[in-house]
Amino acid sequence: MLKMFFYSLKNLFSPPATLEKGTPPPKNYRGTILYFEETCIYCKKCEMVCPPGAIIFTYPEDGSKKLKFHYNPYLCIYCGECVRACPKPGTLVQAETPSPPATADQKPNDQWFEIEKLAVESKKKWQEARKRMREQKNKNQQ
Amino acid sequence: MGKKFVVPFGSQHVALPEPIRFVFTTENEIIRNVAVDFGYVHRGIEKACMSKFKYTQVPYVVARVCGLCSISHASGYCLAIETLMDIEVPKRAVYLRIIAHELDRIHSHLFAVSHLCEVAGYENLFMRVMRDRELVMECLEIFTGNRVQYDFVTIGGVNRDLTKEVYEELKPRLEELEKRLLQLKEIFEKDYTLQMRWKGAGVITKEMAQKYNAVGPIARASGLATDCRVEFGYFPYEELGYRMVLYHEGDIWARNMVRVDESLVSIEVVKNAMDNLPKGEINVRVRGNPNGEALVRWEAPRGELLYYVKGNGKPVLERLRIKTPTFSVIPVMKELYYNQPYALVPDITISFDPCLSCTAR
Repeated sequence: MLKMFFYSLKNLFSPPATLEKGTPPPKNYRGTILYFEETCIYCKKCEMVCPPGAIIFTYPEDGSKKLKFHYNPYLCIYCGECVRACPKPGTLVQAETPSPPATADQKPNDQWFEIEKLAVESKKKWQEARKRMREQKNKNQQ
Repeated sequence: MGKKFVVPFGSQHVALPEPIRFVFTTENEIIRNVAVDFGYVHRGIEKACMSKFKYTQVPYVVARVCGLCSISHASGYCLAIETLMDIEVPKRAVYLRIIAHELDRIHSHLFAVSHLCEVAGYENLFMRVMRDRELVMECLEIFTGNRVQYDFVTIGGVNRDLTKEVYEELKPRLEELEKRLLQLKEIFEKDYTLQMRWKGAGVITKEMAQKYNAVGPIARASGLATDCRVEFGYFPYEELGYRMVLYHEGDIWARNMVRVDESLVSIEVVKNAMDNLPKGEINVRVRGNPNGEALVRWEAPRGELLYYVKGNGKPVLERLRIKTPTFSVIPVMKELYYNQPYALVPDITISFDPCLSCTAR
């Protein structure tokens, strides 16, 4: 018990053991996911693999192949499965800094529910537009 | 002959880390009757794994059953699927899994030790053990990327590799931790106030442990030599310097010392594994769907963990069943409370190290 007393006395005159606020995380920290559109081929493997469903693609109305990428940093678990599943390296990259925290005026959940509904509706319209494009091409060929 | 009072050790209590409810019937502050109620943290994880998630996403879901033994759950599931689909994991991945497992075991045991000191009233020692535990958390953050939920184990291997810089960072921290743990062990063996409080309290004899089927550090503190790491040969522990820790007294002091000694053994295993890492790949590509059933028993920090997996050729599993160590230990806990003074209840409960998130998934 005497040793603990001297240890506590030494701690009374030492600096605190906690890290200051704003200390950067160590190297190879699992941070936020960054998306680069130039090399993406829209195969949607990242959407299929993500466990919580934090990546959603919405479809354009005119039937073209260029989809729009949406990422939710508040649902993401930062496992890195999307980075490993992507067939073109360099499209999805995991940074080493954490995501910025959400503020009250961003309304993160309401916007994400809108995006989920939009994905389902825009997929139906996109499939109809592609069917019309295929029938047009068949008519032109005949 | 006194009047009987009914006292709840309620679902929310200052001494409890997670909600569980006991209803004691006491007479002159000696407990005569106990009723147990758990299930407050039920989230429906087994049902979600059978309906919403594919079998390759399940390790990430199942790791979130518990915060302290998260890698044991992920690893148990991956071992079950690998047994079912006949996947051979490369040797380097096996060693990396051992390193992560043993670091997880150290941090979980130190958490339990510090919580026990806090309940005994010795807050100074509680803070000291937590400060030493920070060394392990830093090691885990450098190695896997996160302090508590390391998404490290997948079907067919692991996700990250151990590079030379990580090795240079881990080694001095582990040696510092070993020095501090030896000082802590000396305090636990010699301190006068802790011995007065813990020795001879909450005794489980060897016959009682065998009759009520105790698992984990609780059984090893009573002299029952049972450990899943030696009984099943999934990982090569014997050649890495593992030895079983046994005490024979069976009281709260013995359970505490088992945890401190196991942390020292784990540091030894991690150092040996890091020095002798074989070369090779870190994971293997997995194709196809699971078909059939498999059963795996693995050692979590609190005891024996059981995983049962059944698949029928589709990407979504048909049945997943988990049995956790705290669930096996509840009958012994209930038996220990009879004819004890009411003031010893927090000490006995925390010396079992209950993890109720695992028990009610």
